[in-house]
Amino acid sequence: MKNLMFSALIAGICVAGPALAAQGNAEKGKEIYMKRCVWCHGEEGDGGGAAAERLNPPPRDFTSGLYKIKTTGREDMVPNDEDIFRMIKYGMPGNFEPGKQPMNPGGSAMPGWGDILSDQDIWDLVAVVKEFSEYTEEKPETQVDYGKQIPSSPESIEKGNKLFHEGERCTECHGEEGKGSAIKALKGDAGDRTWPRNLTKPWTFRGSNDPKDIFTRITTGIPGTQMPSFADPESKKSLSIEERWHVANYVNSLAKKDKVVNPSNTVIQAALLEGDLPMDPNDPQWDAAAQTTYYMVPQFIGKERHFTPANDTITVKAVFNEKDVALLLEWDDRTKSIPGDEMAIKVTDPDEVYEDAVAIQIPAVLPKGVQKPYFGMGDPSHPVNIWQWKAGTTESPETISLMNSTGFANIEKRDAAKAGIEVKSAYSHGTWKVVMKRPRTTGEADKDLQFEEGKFIPIAFAAWDGSNNETGSKHTMTTWYWLILKAPVGARPAMTAIFVAALIFGGLVWWARGAAIARKEEEAAA
Amino acid sequence: MVIAFVYAAFVITFDHILGALIPKSLLTMYMFFVVSGVFMVFTFDEEKTKELVAPIKALVEDPSKKMIRNLVFVIIPLGAAYLTYQSQLPSLEPPTEARAQHPAPPSTMKAFGKRFNLMTLENPLRKLQTEDPEAFKAHVKAGGEIYIQNCQYCHGDKLDGEGPFAPGVNPLPVNFQDVTTIAQLTESYLFWRIATGGPGLPKEATPWISAMPVWQNFLTEEEIWQVILFLFDYTGHKPRSWE
Repeated sequence: MKNLMFSALIAGICVAGPALAAQGNAEKGKEIYMKRCVWCHGEEGDGGGAAAERLNPPPRDFTSGLYKIKTTGREDMVPNDEDIFRMIKYGMPGNFEPGKQPMNPGGSAMPGWGDILSDQDIWDLVAVVKEFSEYTEEKPETQVDYGKQIPSSPESIEKGNKLFHEGERCTECHGEEGKGSAIKALKGDAGDRTWPRNLTKPWTFRGSNDPKDIFTRITTGIPGTQMPSFADPESKKSLSIEERWHVANYVNSLAKKDKVVNPSNTVIQAALLEGDLPMDPNDPQWDAAAQTTYYMVPQFIGKERHFTPANDTITVKAVFNEKDVALLLEWDDRTKSIPGDEMAIKVTDPDEVYEDAVAIQIPAVLPKGVQKPYFGMGDPSHPVNIWQWKAGTTESPETISLMNSTGFANIEKRDAAKAGIEVKSAYSHGTWKVVMKRPRTTGEADKDLQFEEGKFIPIAFAAWDGSNNETGSKHTMTTWYWLILKAPVGARPAMTAIFVAALIFGGLVWWARGAAIARKEEEAAA
Repeated sequence: MVIAFVYAAFVITFDHILGALIPKSLLTMYMFFVVSGVFMVFTFDEEKTKELVAPIKALVEDPSKKMIRNLVFVIIPLGAAYLTYQSQLPSLEPPTEARAQHPAPPSTMKAFGKRFNLMTLENPLRKLQTEDPEAFKAHVKAGGEIYIQNCQYCHGDKLDGEGPFAPGVNPLPVNFQDVTTIAQLTESYLFWRIATGGPGLPKEATPWISAMPVWQNFLTEEEIWQVILFLFDYTGHKPRSWE
């Protein structure tokens, strides 16, 4: 009997535990809030902290009571307490939950706090956050109905693919290939510019790209943004539970597999090709070269700085022959920004459309020792060579320009044609591809890097999204990486290997033979 | 077996537990000593030597083990050939950039158009901590606001060096929570590092790759001292002093 009562007590505590914790102590939470959260979310919880203007997405305004990531039914404005708890503990995207994305330039600035705050601390914060809105007392009445989860399979993905495109259901904003390239100007509830999610970059998903999370977003929509609910029976784009699972599986399958950052991959290996190098970005000859992807971050070292990028990665391939070297630069850009272009001015104020652009930076002369030029456009004793492509306007075609610089303010404009630099670009469904080609040697060896085989050449990249206010010093960029023209292997390694193998084999045979002769002699002697 | 154990222990302790990769050359050197040591122990007297060598000798010389012998005779040269081939291929490993983490500061520095003596420089706001706690709190708050508008992108909301832009820069941003960073430094050292940024580093600290901006171009002298107060206040670390 006593035992039974004890068990009941334990069970009672277990059941009540989360509920008790969920109450949270707003008074204790306030102290934590004022130390950790106030900087972005503000003293009043209205998202008006000091950082607000330099963050996109902006910090959440708790007074609105609206939350983007929630699991309550679509009719319910208030989230579950657990939804707020999860966002605080794991961040957006979750930066330390096992298997989740770390903080990255494409993510939001909200980190996960679970490594320095206890669960009780976080429940206390949930209480604080809720008190900022007048809907504190409101309890959610409905929950997302998940039905029975349909596991991902080629059939399910194919069904999802159809539903995604049918009647422009999702492509209206997310584009044909899910890269968010459809031309629509979207705004968030704070009047902030929002971009439709590039669904091929799961590391930028605020609430993870697990099919269940995607299902939830499709079901509830993303409150405070123009992402609607697809569970609304009134909508002609509405989807059944089963259909939503198919779309979730399809969206999950869109994740880029090959164009993702691998931090240990710091070398671009240029492949040796026979014959002329391809100028067409879609030429199959590019398949011969390995591709490398790097993070791009906004330019924040020189005036004017940039804080709200629209792109976060660039993928590079390189090829060469005896005469030339060519690079293929590929990056996602939702908008083909060509000033004057009808499509471009649909999403951005016509006066604020600039040309899309991309640039590579290499030292003007290969450094002798370890010291490289300063990665931000070189330094007085180490000039850099910059090749910049610009998309052009409706009145002028695309351009390639060549500059040598020894710092932000010391730029010498040079003649790209004289150095033999050629360029060709292609834009398709939210992706730019640009090929730049130059002879390996030029007439000015003191001003243009001469490309030699087998040498590690420092290389860096920059890109401009002209529909995201990026022009001049406002752009995204990488730090230094390496380019190497892979020298042909030649016969030496193979010859040496054969020689070593023969030597060892000979030695072993000699030993065995010697032993056999000795044994025979012994036998003969016996 | 002993050798394999030592090797695994090295790799596990350093690479996985401590998270600091041992340079390959260093590991090779250590392993050379370990192997020779083990070899010496096992060949200490003649009997032991015989015991150790016997199976190898038997393999080569015993006619009943002919099959295994032939197999070994093929595998060993092939293995050696593979290793030789690999070592002869042109390397695709980029040159390493050895880098001093907290380089020695110069004795004086120039910033804001004046010269500062780093040996005697102190945070002019620090004394308010005891003299005027309210004013001190206001400076810490101002420092926090400057931090969140300028520094969190790399050094992180949690001051842990894991801001959203961190994976895009190299070297990685400093983690202020870590006890081996600002807890070991004076406020004047931080002032030097913030005011002159990456380009102000001495050569041994690779100033050409550091993404740390030159903050005297963006912040005032007082703002830098405020940020320094905030860094110590938030992390709970105490700055080092000369006494």
